[in-house]
Amino acid sequence: MNKTLRNPYVYLLFVLPTIGLYGLFFIYPVIQSAYYGLTDWNALTTANFIGFGNFERAFQDDDFWISVKNNMFFILFSVFLQVPLIILFSLLISGVKRLQGFYKTTVFMPSILSTSIIGILWGFMYHPSIGFFNKFLSWFGIEPIYWLSDTKWALLSILITNAWQWMGFYIVLVLAAILAIPKEINEAAEIDGATGFQRAVRITTPLIMPVISIVVMLSIAGAMRVVDIVLVMTNGGPAGATEVMASYMVNKAMKYGEYGYGTALSIMIFAIALLLTAIYQIVFARRQERVEY
Amino acid sequence: MPKVIKKVLPHLVLIVYVFIILFPFVFVLLSSLKETNDQIVTAPFGLPKKLMFENFADAWSQAKISRYFFNSAYLSLSAAVAAILLSAMTAYAIARMRLKRMSKIIYQFILLGMLIPGNVLFIAQYILVQKMGILNTHWALFLPYTAGALPFSVLLIVAFMKAIPQEMEEAAIVDGLGVIGSFFRIILPLTVPALVTVFIINLLGNWNEYLLSNFFISKDNLRTLPTGMVGFRDAFQTSYPLVFTGIVISVLPILVIYAFLQKTIIEGLTAGGVKG
Repeated sequence: MNKTLRNPYVYLLFVLPTIGLYGLFFIYPVIQSAYYGLTDWNALTTANFIGFGNFERAFQDDDFWISVKNNMFFILFSVFLQVPLIILFSLLISGVKRLQGFYKTTVFMPSILSTSIIGILWGFMYHPSIGFFNKFLSWFGIEPIYWLSDTKWALLSILITNAWQWMGFYIVLVLAAILAIPKEINEAAEIDGATGFQRAVRITTPLIMPVISIVVMLSIAGAMRVVDIVLVMTNGGPAGATEVMASYMVNKAMKYGEYGYGTALSIMIFAIALLLTAIYQIVFARRQERVEY
Repeated sequence: MPKVIKKVLPHLVLIVYVFIILFPFVFVLLSSLKETNDQIVTAPFGLPKKLMFENFADAWSQAKISRYFFNSAYLSLSAAVAAILLSAMTAYAIARMRLKRMSKIIYQFILLGMLIPGNVLFIAQYILVQKMGILNTHWALFLPYTAGALPFSVLLIVAFMKAIPQEMEEAAIVDGLGVIGSFFRIILPLTVPALVTVFIINLLGNWNEYLLSNFFISKDNLRTLPTGMVGFRDAFQTSYPLVFTGIVISVLPILVIYAFLQKTIIEGLTAGGVKG
């Protein structure tokens, strides 16, 4: 019995393909990145070791910091606008009896679709002449707005599309947590005379804080990773107004062939993501009391 | 507040939200059935005068959407199946076989991969694929898709396999079943729920993947739907109905699957989403 389950050949047969593929596409690129990041390798010349030159350059690269700032807008937008709405909608859905399944299925739907297709689709919603938004504005006699090619509006347009795609996903997460709260707690509060609003604010919301914390974490992680939607809708333009860190990094490497500098940027992105996660954990997550019921 | 309002108000708010979600789809569907740009421009929300189902035939054949569709389908399926097979085997070795110390090391090693966000390795993976000489072939997507799915899949399947009681397997082995037999006949069938979850997450992830597909493949014939559609949009800028038809064709299969498997998909993706 023990011998059968200790067969080293079968063990290797089961483990090696995974380790091989994982090593080749994860571990090896990590090691290579650490090396490329310290070189001035580009499409034209061979790699020369330049120490931390790329990182010094990145710190002075205003365009890169504009893209960092845009990622921060993604974070602020999702944490301060989307999360409250997510909580509101989950509370509303959890409160209705009829159509609950329908609401849940519908709001979740955009998150299973390809971001690129959604980018194309919303590109037409924002289209200057056939798009919905300008048609709507024209009923009120407002001049057409060039949503995606006006520096004032482009980022907001993408933020809205991004929210449209992902809010439902988080709503379903929060909804599951709300529905898992034992009924007795709310019933007891109701007997004590708490109104529906009071129960939502004083009982349900505190009880789902752990999930909200997860949602905030996931939103931050998602905002740091965002790239597809930018590449598809504006490719970072107009004039860098919608450039995010990942799109900037990808364009540096693929458009200009700056592999060394691009890799250094991707290490910076990783570092910034780690930093934000750490800050979030220290400032917010630790204050959270564990809820048990 | 009167009781009726209290009951109706949440529905009103939610209906507005549902409307916002569905609205773009209605716009696209209506437009895809129209004959000319003109009809879309003058009355974006008017019903088509004549239902142009020809658009679908045109987009499907003329614009190579059938090609993209087929590429996407077989790439996402094969990579998802490969990832499941590899991770189930590895998970079995880690969770069920009695080489505990080795398993612990391997498990930790594989979980390291969960710390690394996908985009960060983009350039290094591009160089790797180039060096391997598989740039511009489907291998350049199949291998990273499969590899990318491994850490999370192993994590989930190990957790599931650990929960299967020892006795079943023991009895089978005492009766003379080998370790490979035990894997395929006893443990794998019991792991099906976890495998389904992992499969759905990987399949949808592959089907929707854009970044690698965009930069690792430049031959039009090899493109997948997400990148093919962007090229299609750029090439047919002036023929809106055709582009809208393309969008409908690429979204429809996912929506049909979703209609049937919504519960499984929602559970799978939310479980997978927490992985980040």
